[in-house]
Amino acid sequence: MIMFDRRLLYSFGWSLFFMTIAFAALALLNLYSASYQTGLVYFKKQAIWLSLGVVVMVLVSFINNKLIKRYSLHIYAVSIFLLIFVLVFGKEVAGSKSWIMLGPFASIQPSELAKIPLVLALARFYDSDYEGLPYSLLDLVKPALLVALPLVLVMLQPDLGTGLLIILISGSMILFMGVRKITLAIILAVIVGFSYPAWHYFMKPYQKSRIMTFLDPARDPLNSGYNAIQSQIAVGSGKFTGKGFMAGSQSQLRFIPAQQTDFAFSVLAEEWGFVGGFFALLLYFMIILWILDTASRSRDTYSILVCYGIAAMFFWHAVVNVGMVIGLLPITGVPLLILSYGGSSTLTAMIGIGIVLGVRMRKFPMPEAAVELR
Amino acid sequence: MQDFKGKLVISTIILCLAFVALVSRLWFLQVIKGDEFESFSIGNRIRIERVPAPRGRVLDRYGRELVVNRPSFDISILPKDVEDVQALSDNLSLILDIESTKIRDKILRAARKSRFKAVTIAQDINRDQLAVIEARRSSLPGLMIEVNNLRQYPHGVLGASFLGYIGKVSEEELNANPELNWNGLVGKSGVEKTWENSLRGDDGFVQKVTDALGREVHSDLFRKDLVNKNSVPGKDVVLSIDMDLQAAAEEALGEEFGAIVVIDVRNGDVLAMASRPTFDPADFVKGIDAAKWAELLNDKNYPLVNRATQGLYAPGSVFKMVPLAAAMKEGVIDPDMRFNCPGSYRLGTHTYRCWKRGGHGSMNMRQALVHSCDVYFYKLAEKLGIERFSKYMTAFGFGQPTGIGIEERAGVAPSREWKLERFKKPWYKGETIVSAIGQGYVSATPLQVAMMTAAIANGGTLLTPRLVVKEVAFSGETTVNTVPPHGHLPVEDSTLALIREAMVGVVNDPGGTGKGALLKDIKVAGKTGTAQVISLGSQTDAKKHMDHAWFTSFAPADKPEIAVSVVVEHGGKGGSVAAPLAKRIMEYYFDLKKERDADDNV
Repeated sequence: MIMFDRRLLYSFGWSLFFMTIAFAALALLNLYSASYQTGLVYFKKQAIWLSLGVVVMVLVSFINNKLIKRYSLHIYAVSIFLLIFVLVFGKEVAGSKSWIMLGPFASIQPSELAKIPLVLALARFYDSDYEGLPYSLLDLVKPALLVALPLVLVMLQPDLGTGLLIILISGSMILFMGVRKITLAIILAVIVGFSYPAWHYFMKPYQKSRIMTFLDPARDPLNSGYNAIQSQIAVGSGKFTGKGFMAGSQSQLRFIPAQQTDFAFSVLAEEWGFVGGFFALLLYFMIILWILDTASRSRDTYSILVCYGIAAMFFWHAVVNVGMVIGLLPITGVPLLILSYGGSSTLTAMIGIGIVLGVRMRKFPMPEAAVELR
Repeated sequence: MQDFKGKLVISTIILCLAFVALVSRLWFLQVIKGDEFESFSIGNRIRIERVPAPRGRVLDRYGRELVVNRPSFDISILPKDVEDVQALSDNLSLILDIESTKIRDKILRAARKSRFKAVTIAQDINRDQLAVIEARRSSLPGLMIEVNNLRQYPHGVLGASFLGYIGKVSEEELNANPELNWNGLVGKSGVEKTWENSLRGDDGFVQKVTDALGREVHSDLFRKDLVNKNSVPGKDVVLSIDMDLQAAAEEALGEEFGAIVVIDVRNGDVLAMASRPTFDPADFVKGIDAAKWAELLNDKNYPLVNRATQGLYAPGSVFKMVPLAAAMKEGVIDPDMRFNCPGSYRLGTHTYRCWKRGGHGSMNMRQALVHSCDVYFYKLAEKLGIERFSKYMTAFGFGQPTGIGIEERAGVAPSREWKLERFKKPWYKGETIVSAIGQGYVSATPLQVAMMTAAIANGGTLLTPRLVVKEVAFSGETTVNTVPPHGHLPVEDSTLALIREAMVGVVNDPGGTGKGALLKDIKVAGKTGTAQVISLGSQTDAKKHMDHAWFTSFAPADKPEIAVSVVVEHGGKGGSVAAPLAKRIMEYYFDLKKERDADDNV
């Protein structure tokens, strides 16, 4: 049972809610075009996921964040269980064991769903462990273990994109929590020291080739450079006003790879041009800004950290995905939240916003009993 | 509780900076580089398919087909659309009867170069194979059936020596003529080469919208910027050749090596031009295979050489009209002046023999030509001197190309300067003497001899041989090929009349050397020649050391229409070997003419 307090409705984050709905609508419109040539299957599925996501978002927003805080580590444990489960029973697609089938038409991707539990766990850990001083190297061991567990499991699938995002999101959070300068320097030195042997001994040839291709897409225009080139051609040829809805030759003739998922933004930029790309990014970044704003209005450390982690998640998804689409970063399998087709990533985004909405509603501390689930 | 405000502000700034960075990049790609990327995206989706234009036909003077085209169904593979190379190779191997590994290797090799460029697997497959492939096409992804045009020669080797052959375009040809198609066939010799630009059509193309897998997409959305271009067939080239006469000439030569040229003395039209041995142009239509090519190139009989225009022979006695005309014009002799022929002529320490060992006795000009008395010409040449003599050789068209258009050699009209330059040696008097009987340094092609004969026959106009009468475009537009004559022989008309009369004697006089060419109804004029190959008395029995037999002629003598020149390599005496061939041709020509006139009158 959810106890309702009238104050909740007054302080509901309507602007964040509507911005999210608007971006979801934009995502659907874009997917309609991107999946038109393949029978709108992706469009229909994503419509279901987004509707479900909005419901979940609203429901989550009504859950008292104190409750979430209390069960943070339990949620984290479930997420870890799912990550192990997928490694054992998951379905292998294109060389990665990342999906748990929920029937013939639906599947979930535990690695996508693992990001929020990690954010919650890190926030919970910091909140209970807080001593008011920036982390030393020794202090970092525990949160590092919290991060390392899902990270290793994700990399075993292997799902490099999510692994990268786990590092970026948790890294952002830990930096936000505060790390001693000397510790930071040591960590940076170790990373630099390890990247050389990693390149030479541990990275697989296709991973190296992706990085090499990023540096020079024309190096291999038919294979690994193909996606990078076609995506940039799509974006660039959209010019200022775009080729028009459903009129993007790169997308309609399927020159853009994975155009319903990782490269959905290329379709948008091709058909709506700079104008469309600009407004889509603006909306997305406004959402992040609102999440950060919620963090700044919050009174308790846990909520601030959770909001910050969710903002970091949205932020890094955008930077890595759009950066890839427009040729600023190498190709990694990272979707743009909500815009890219994908049930798990969409649910993750919606749950994230739901949590933020919940925090925003309760910016005034309230008696715990009044909002507790029974 | 830690105050996070400062870090939130920094985070917000980072957020804004990232936004600006992404938007800047969008601006760069879409606004600054937009046009460039737009052209890429157009190129991406449009595939240009060549529509080969058929090559023009080659027709004889009556419009009968000598070279035509037929469709050839070719099988090619576009590597990028192939799903399973092994399966495709195995399937094609069964249908086309080519080794599977060969097909696979070809596809893989092509794929390494470019997955987007089709590679030809089989050319000119037969109807049955085509039917099977058509039926199974959907299970053979990556396979394309292309229709190309192949040259076809309805009359086999007829006229091959001047029609020429075609072959795959070479790097140099492509550099010299950017209009050529990189994988096309191009004329490599003869009419096919010289009239390449007329015969070659203008290829068209169709643009097709394709998706990323190369499949054609039928969508109106991207149709607007499609451009198609119709192919324009090459022009038909109409030759001056009379196919019937050509066949007769080639038949006359038979298995002998040599050449026959038939010229219309009134306008220079080449009515027939036979050369033996020859080659089969059909071997070249798909691009000749290396073994066959090597065989042709290394053949000691040089089948690729058109002997009519490229065969250089000592003209022997058929050359005698030149010194005769020169001597008359220069006043060295007059028609009644007589020289005694004792069978040889002594100049310095060397004795020059007449072909008739016993000698001809006293000869005037006419007799000397009719009996082809060498001694008469030795004396005449000595008086004439090489300076004046060589001037006339040039004026009669020797030592220079005739301008027929196809490959030809100039031959040699020797002079003091020529020898000095060629051998760095002075001219000797004896060389003037042997030049007078068409030996020594003098060399000429059968066509040159025919053109000289035509000039004597037509009253002195040295014509340019015309092989192509006109070009007819697909639209019907006709371009007539006019060839200006080289000029007029520097000889009095009366002299030419005397020479013509003497040439009539050669054929018609009881003692004439060219009696072999005598016709019943038509008066033939001619001149025999027997050109020494190498003066090795002991080996004359060997065929390759036998003399070349020459005969040049025109008819009818009083109103000349055609000149016929014949050379039979190592044939022996011109009078007995070459003259009968000329007779057959002329007989055929006049029979044909009678028939055609009769048809016209009906």
